[in-house]
Amino acid sequence: MEILIFSILAIVAVVCSIMVICQKNPVASALFLIATMVSLAMLFLLLNAPFLAVIQIIVYAGAIMVLFLFVIMLLNLRRDEFGPEKRRAQRFFGILFVFLLLIGMVTVIEVGIFGSKSTETVSEATAPAGVEPLAQLLFTKYLFPFELASVLLLVAIVGAVVMAKRRL
Amino acid sequence: MTYQLLLPQIFLFLWAILIFIIDFVRKEKKHNLAYVALLGIVITTVLVLTSQKGELFGGMFQADSFSAYFNLIFLLTGFLTIASSVEFTQRLPSNKGEYFGLILLSMVGMMFLASAGDLLTLYVSLELTTIPLFVLASYRKDEFKSTEAGLKYLILGGISSALLLFGISLIYGLTGTTFLTEVRTTLIVRFLSTGNVGPALVLGFIFMIAGFGFKLALVPFHMWVPDVYEGAPTPITAFLSVASKATGIAAFLRVFFHAFLIFQVDWVMLMAVLAALAMIIGNIIALLQTNIKRMLAYSSIAQIGYILLGVVAASSRGVSSVAFYTFVYLFANMGAFITAIAFSHKTGSDEIKDYAGLSRRSPALAAMMAVFMLSLVGIPPLAGFMGKYYLFSAAIEQRYIWLVVIAILTSVISLYYYLNVVRQMYFQTSTEESPILMGAALKTALLICVIGVLLLGIYPNIFLNFANQAAMVFHY
Repeated sequence: MEILIFSILAIVAVVCSIMVICQKNPVASALFLIATMVSLAMLFLLLNAPFLAVIQIIVYAGAIMVLFLFVIMLLNLRRDEFGPEKRRAQRFFGILFVFLLLIGMVTVIEVGIFGSKSTETVSEATAPAGVEPLAQLLFTKYLFPFELASVLLLVAIVGAVVMAKRRL
Repeated sequence: MTYQLLLPQIFLFLWAILIFIIDFVRKEKKHNLAYVALLGIVITTVLVLTSQKGELFGGMFQADSFSAYFNLIFLLTGFLTIASSVEFTQRLPSNKGEYFGLILLSMVGMMFLASAGDLLTLYVSLELTTIPLFVLASYRKDEFKSTEAGLKYLILGGISSALLLFGISLIYGLTGTTFLTEVRTTLIVRFLSTGNVGPALVLGFIFMIAGFGFKLALVPFHMWVPDVYEGAPTPITAFLSVASKATGIAAFLRVFFHAFLIFQVDWVMLMAVLAALAMIIGNIIALLQTNIKRMLAYSSIAQIGYILLGVVAASSRGVSSVAFYTFVYLFANMGAFITAIAFSHKTGSDEIKDYAGLSRRSPALAAMMAVFMLSLVGIPPLAGFMGKYYLFSAAIEQRYIWLVVIAILTSVISLYYYLNVVRQMYFQTSTEESPILMGAALKTALLICVIGVLLLGIYPNIFLNFANQAAMVFHY
């Protein structure tokens, strides 16, 4: 049952993310991105991480996507600004190599699962799910990368302002 | 816990904030903030040199001789970059203070990265390093090429981060931990009980190598390098070509030599092939370049190939030769870029053919450029020779004769395009007679590079001792 739900969600996520880059209309792209985000949130639920799933929907599918859509609407792109058609050969080789990579990865994973000798196992998730255990981990074991991420956010803000403003 | 170990990083971070505040508060923007930034770097260097060794947060932050060594590389590169940016920022229409602040913040990320003891810290500090660089690469917003450089770097940086994260998540999935020492012990225990390395682990290696490959500009992942290097402001190109690569090397060594060294049969051959490709393709395409920034871009791809010789050797001698060559590469490459900066300030050109007759226009500048070029080739008694000597001998020790043969052959090829610059400067004449004038900061930076190249070539032992100590961190 779980593998069925996982396959459906995974296919939806992959197909939607491919659609994001195949669409000519940026609004349609953004909507497909929302679909990708939502299916990712479902995958988090499946992994027994409800808090992450909720955050994924609120932050990504909610706040960030609304901003995306606003920007797209405000820019009001005309059709000729969408950019020229991609070269055919480039597209052909791109798809070819993606398939080669897919075949390679599937072979590797199949060997890993069905190959008689290998006993690789994915280790069990150790931490219990929920807000409280997550917070506890963030502020104890992973305090250092957590604080480092705040520096990262500051840098991103400064960078965005420098890029966007002509004169400070 | 003693948080004192974090002092250099925290100090540099606060100094960057201080620069933002000064730039925001002051009314008259006459004085250049470059000197404030330089002062901050000097103080941080003192802090690094006097800092203690130890670890924090259960091993997430490692302050050891390896991190101290690479911190000095980052600080010196930052110093030279900022010193050579003084004139560039004077011509900027706006946002002069943020330029220096962002360079300092990128350096903070690099310094955290050199100390990273787990994969999560490693990833966050890698992002902290690259995000300011995206902005800095596109700092000339009025120029199409600069904007293009920033965008290309952003997209490919995103892809490489995704690849790296995919590799990290596979490793985490297999071991259940992000700490490098725990990853190591878990994998060894599993290896001993089952007797083989699973395919998912190898897949993790491949994705992580691809992720680092983008940062290091190894050959199948090098497509972004020439365009970004050409379009970005030249001081930032210099910073990218040295500091960003040193970051990639430090991160790669931390991860692969800390956690995966016993699985070296599974990834060393891959690195050997990548090194050979980098040396062959980097050197051959560099032959065709007419623009000095593009030429140096391909030359830096080739140089990374040489550095990988030490990684492939996977021995204590190999790591110390990598660390040593990074310093050698720093002085020679920064020197070459600083010469290009001085030249293009005066003439507005980056074309190699415009260097004709430079030996008559500015004999000192031409002589220094010749020294840098000869050091990049590896001519004795300059630093490049000693660096390559240690790299090659480390590789020969581990019986990678074929790789050393390729390295020597491609070094001969590289002679052509490096000496082409020297030929233009000394044996071609031009009608232009006016000398290239430089500011004090630019002169100082050039002088540091020349002294570095000569010193490392003649007395390599001073730095080699530090490099050996840095290499002692890993268990071979």
